[in-house]
Amino acid sequence: MKKNLKKTLSIGLAAMMALSLAGCGGSDTSATPAAGDTAAGGEASQAAPASGDVKTIKLFHRFPDDPCNAFIEKKIAEYEAAHPDIKFEVTSAQNQPYKEKIKVVVGSDECPDIFFSFCGEFSERFIREGLLMDLTPYLEADPEWKESLMETQMDEYTTADGMVYGIPFRLDAKEFFYNVDMFNDLGLEVPETWDDFIKVLDAIQASGVVPIAEGNQDKWPGAHYLGALNEQCVPDEVRAKDYDPKTGEFTDPGYVEAFKYYQQLVPYMNMGVNGMTHDMARLGFTNGQNAILFAELVEITNIKQENPDMNWGMFKFPVIEGAKGNPDLVSGAPEGFAISSKTAYPDECIEFLKWFLGPETGAQQAAEVGWFNASLGVDEGLTDPSLVSAYEVIANAKKMDIWFDNALYSTVCDEYLTQISDITNGDVTPEDAMAKIQKVAAEAQNLAQ
Amino acid sequence: MSTDKYVLKTRIFKILLYLFLILLVGIILFPVCWLVLNSLKTNQEMFLDSLALPKKWMFENYITAWNKGLVSYFVNSIIVGALSIGIILALSSMLAYGLTRFNLPGSGFIFILVLGGMALSEQVALVPLYKILQALKLYNTRAALVLPYVAFRIPFTMFLMRSYFISIPKELEEAAIVDGCKSWQRFTKIILPISKPVLASCAIVNLNHVWNEFLFANVFLEDKKLMTIPLGLMTFQGDLKSDYVVMLAGILICSLPMVLLFLCMSRQFVRGLTSGAVKG
Amino acid sequence: MKKKKTNLTPYLYIIPGLLMVLGLVYIPVIVNLVYSLFHLSSYSSSMRFVGLDNYRRLFTNDTFPIMMRNNIYYCVISLIVQVGFGTFLALLLESKLAGERFKTICRNIYFIPSLVSLTAVGLMFNFIYNPQLGMLNALLKNIGMANLQQTWLGDKNLAIFCIIAMSQWQFTGYITLLMVVAFQNVPNDYVEAAIIDGAGPVRRALSIILPLAKEQLLVCTIITVIGAFKLFTEVYSTTVGGPGNSSQVLGLFLYQNAFLHDDMGMAAATGVLIFIITVTASIFQLKISRSGEV
Repeated sequence: MKKNLKKTLSIGLAAMMALSLAGCGGSDTSATPAAGDTAAGGEASQAAPASGDVKTIKLFHRFPDDPCNAFIEKKIAEYEAAHPDIKFEVTSAQNQPYKEKIKVVVGSDECPDIFFSFCGEFSERFIREGLLMDLTPYLEADPEWKESLMETQMDEYTTADGMVYGIPFRLDAKEFFYNVDMFNDLGLEVPETWDDFIKVLDAIQASGVVPIAEGNQDKWPGAHYLGALNEQCVPDEVRAKDYDPKTGEFTDPGYVEAFKYYQQLVPYMNMGVNGMTHDMARLGFTNGQNAILFAELVEITNIKQENPDMNWGMFKFPVIEGAKGNPDLVSGAPEGFAISSKTAYPDECIEFLKWFLGPETGAQQAAEVGWFNASLGVDEGLTDPSLVSAYEVIANAKKMDIWFDNALYSTVCDEYLTQISDITNGDVTPEDAMAKIQKVAAEAQNLAQ
Repeated sequence: MSTDKYVLKTRIFKILLYLFLILLVGIILFPVCWLVLNSLKTNQEMFLDSLALPKKWMFENYITAWNKGLVSYFVNSIIVGALSIGIILALSSMLAYGLTRFNLPGSGFIFILVLGGMALSEQVALVPLYKILQALKLYNTRAALVLPYVAFRIPFTMFLMRSYFISIPKELEEAAIVDGCKSWQRFTKIILPISKPVLASCAIVNLNHVWNEFLFANVFLEDKKLMTIPLGLMTFQGDLKSDYVVMLAGILICSLPMVLLFLCMSRQFVRGLTSGAVKG
Repeated sequence: MKKKKTNLTPYLYIIPGLLMVLGLVYIPVIVNLVYSLFHLSSYSSSMRFVGLDNYRRLFTNDTFPIMMRNNIYYCVISLIVQVGFGTFLALLLESKLAGERFKTICRNIYFIPSLVSLTAVGLMFNFIYNPQLGMLNALLKNIGMANLQQTWLGDKNLAIFCIIAMSQWQFTGYITLLMVVAFQNVPNDYVEAAIIDGAGPVRRALSIILPLAKEQLLVCTIITVIGAFKLFTEVYSTTVGGPGNSSQVLGLFLYQNAFLHDDMGMAAATGVLIFIITVTASIFQLKISRSGEV
């Protein structure tokens, strides 16, 4: 009996393996038309160094929408044509899924050679695991390249110990956009201080228009307000200490103040802030239902698409007089590409990035997509006044302050976003909100070690 | 008198019943109609008044949606669906057959063991499965979807098939045993052919599940070329810019095939389920 | 017996399926149990043993009571609407009062939403609930009840109920169809005998039809309860847990910890909790149905 059982079992096992092999085989062969090149690419990247023919570089980015996606594809095709020994394999994902996906692949063997990575804590967690390549030696070896890049922007892609880990693809900053016609009709001036800002908002509201368009369903738009307010309310050193997960406490009273200023704005926003996405709220601005929108420079392209005839302008986040923070910071960050420390072709990747993120491609990118990279002089051929003024915002910035949601450790960030969302709905007081954030920050100190 | 009253009462009931059922039809269909209506507008029009009729019927929204890669999402869904269903049906029917026809020692335990898989949710296995698939080099391949789909759908399918197989009279097979048929022949020549209705029902129930599955697909796939429909739809939602009307058109295009398939086959489907549940 | 010849082959039928289930369902669940005792992230190879700390952090998390509450709301409401009302609807559809064709059309229409993918329904209801351009607010305005307009998914107190309502819209027809099928299996002679005995439609339903369809009802209940604690896609495609944490659920919390917060251990601990809840609930329901049977 027992023998029989053993025999049956082993036969069964064999059958199972055969079956599962058949299953996998089936799925593999059927995968050939679409996935075939992926598999082939993977093999090639391992085989290539020996044979030396085609080198496959995997690139993963987060710009799947046109015109940017088309631009990237076009540029890569050009590069491939000029370099027959290099083949690219490009994948992309939307922002939110991207943030999840990249963490999944970056530690595995499937890691792309070149990939998009936000600066700040988002990348630094990978650096702690030794997953990103140090670009500093390459920049030192090519001073011309180093000098061609905007220093304020490169600073953001440099760690505290001086390691450069990314090269910007698009520069970005947050500004208030306003409807110029509406301001003129009401005889309003662009506000420079917080008090003026509130007066302007009052005047707009009195005229029957809901002043601010805001959609916080995805939670990051609110974080951008808080990021800007924290810059002004909390001294730089304190923020630097708190944004570091190992030392973060968030006990400075300035954080509560920042929440209170944010609370002041909420009544001027459209209805259902938490029930709408940012881009949906932007339609309210471009359709003339709201007068003001806090938006990123990269959205200029979208605004022009949605309403080409609109007469709009920009102003800087108003200065809160007497606050303890730094009013000179420009909220925003470059977004760029990093290279995996595991790549088989570090030199080829660098060569490509020098070109792809260099002045020549950058000028075309500015003209075609409306986004700037960090190479100096990409604005020279610009004629569009709105893009020129956008470029000035960044070029004139003495120092950038990276996106709040990229600066924080992930659990702290999540809690902060949650509290902002609750404050927007009026469900929690600033003091309680900060108490909850402090608790998570204390816990993060343990986790980040 | 009393019969009159009875007739009147039934008639009132009847009218109320009809009204009620129609009201429910309205609740189901109204959002769908609203969706169709808005998928034919421009973003601006939809934003300004989502109940108004479009000024110009934007059929090109559908073309735009289709060109956003829906074709490849469809192909992927069909490949993954077909493979999964095939393997699910094969393994489950064998399992159910083995459990019901041989009076094996421990078959009761095995039945409970497999059935227990029904209570284990996909999320619980998510993290380890992802690590296992990565270790097996299956991450980001179609096998990374097919294998887990099969494993998680076997319990329920086996359960449905088992109750059907039990209802098949033993005499049918006994005649074949006398004729000297091996069990495999009995299985493929006798049991499977008369089990067509339950196989069909199981196929539809599982197809519906596999066609719509999102969690595994979202975690185990990375390549846009491999994405299935539910995943592909989510890519319509941009970060700084979503094209709402095109997204609505995409939702409709993606939903149509399953609905049409069901409407064409609803009679067979219900019959299959009915006979599948017949108990001995 | 002819066991001698057959005791080898039967296992060949069983083993492939069994191994699939053991290998890809049970083993991951056990591995998950192990992970829940470690601190680890998706991209780093190092694991740090932390004992039960992940569980402590889970149970003391501010979100924990909210998640449990939301999953339980979802479960209870789904049981009432999908199983309860769905079964009632199935009874109506099997009553002899309405025409056959009409009933079939209704039944098919009710079933259609369950054929649409969850993400599609999620995206669609995102629009329906949208405060600015959504169908609901537009409708309320047009029928002169603008004061009832809400932020829906953006409202802390409403968000989870909006999601639950969406699921009821989608799945009630599914349960209805399953129950219709079960009712059609009730032998006609039983029903006719009851009619001869003078039993009215209500009594026929309660004492003949429902008891005979008990097994199907049990399956539907178990599916619904398990589904309630597996809840993920519905929330992921609409509110992603917001506003604040008000619509957070266990499944999404697990996912976010695993793939957003680099906290696989916490995710695994949440997985273990989901596992315990669903298995307990299933066993409990089976027990109840057994004791009722005797």
